[in-house]
Amino acid sequence: MEERLYDLIFICRPDTPEADIDKIISTLEHAAAEKETKIEKIEKWGRKRMAYRVHKLREGFYVYMSLRTTHGELVKELERRLKVADPVIKYLTVRLDEELKRQAKLKRHRERRAARRPRKAGAGTSGSGTTGTGTTGAVSGGSEQAVASS
Amino acid sequence: MPEENQRPQQSSGPGGGGPRPGGGPGGRSGPGGKRGKRSYVRRKKVCRFCVDKVDLIDYKKADVLGQFIQERGKILPRRMTGTCARHQRWLSVAIKRAQNIALLPFGAEI
Repeated sequence: MEERLYDLIFICRPDTPEADIDKIISTLEHAAAEKETKIEKIEKWGRKRMAYRVHKLREGFYVYMSLRTTHGELVKELERRLKVADPVIKYLTVRLDEELKRQAKLKRHRERRAARRPRKAGAGTSGSGTTGTGTTGAVSGGSEQAVASS
Repeated sequence: MPEENQRPQQSSGPGGGGPRPGGGPGGRSGPGGKRGKRSYVRRKKVCRFCVDKVDLIDYKKADVLGQFIQERGKILPRRMTGTCARHQRWLSVAIKRAQNIALLPFGAEI
């Protein structure tokens, strides 16, 4: 299986002590290590105001993790552990590798196109944008009196 | 008839010709959609993401995404923000993800 990239965000109650949050993080790390997962990043965004009330709370402690793995079933396991943990009130897992692949492809196309086109100094040519080979001179705009009346 | 095309014939591109009712693609649904009655021509809006050449709209950036929703949490239509179709699709996915993780609201708070 190819390698997948996941984003995992979970929110804890704002009044949980730091030690409990670290405990949850280490639980997730253990579960990830069992399945040969590399945890790329762990960020604690800290207390943030939430856009709506969750479990009657207005604020939450946000934690963000980024995982790289070939075992897709790990996500289910992590979510199960988060569901069971008491301080966690919300979590979200997003799979990102396809999007990143698409982003890289678009970037490549754009760079390739920019490199291929010879740098035209003038703007205002009618950009019917095919064919990188330089056309010399007259780009016909079609407004010439080319009608030959016989 | 050689003299028929006395007026200079402009190629009617995406800007729309003069006599075409409706005011071009930008204002097609603008003034209520009545044909032939143009109250104003909307100036051409550009897609903000196309200008910046954005390839990935991050759902974690609530400040950027927040410009594309109403206060009630509804996503603004394309004709209001000027976004292109592709970026609007990506944008709506990102907004919905952000709403799910409470970075953006779903509706108005009472």
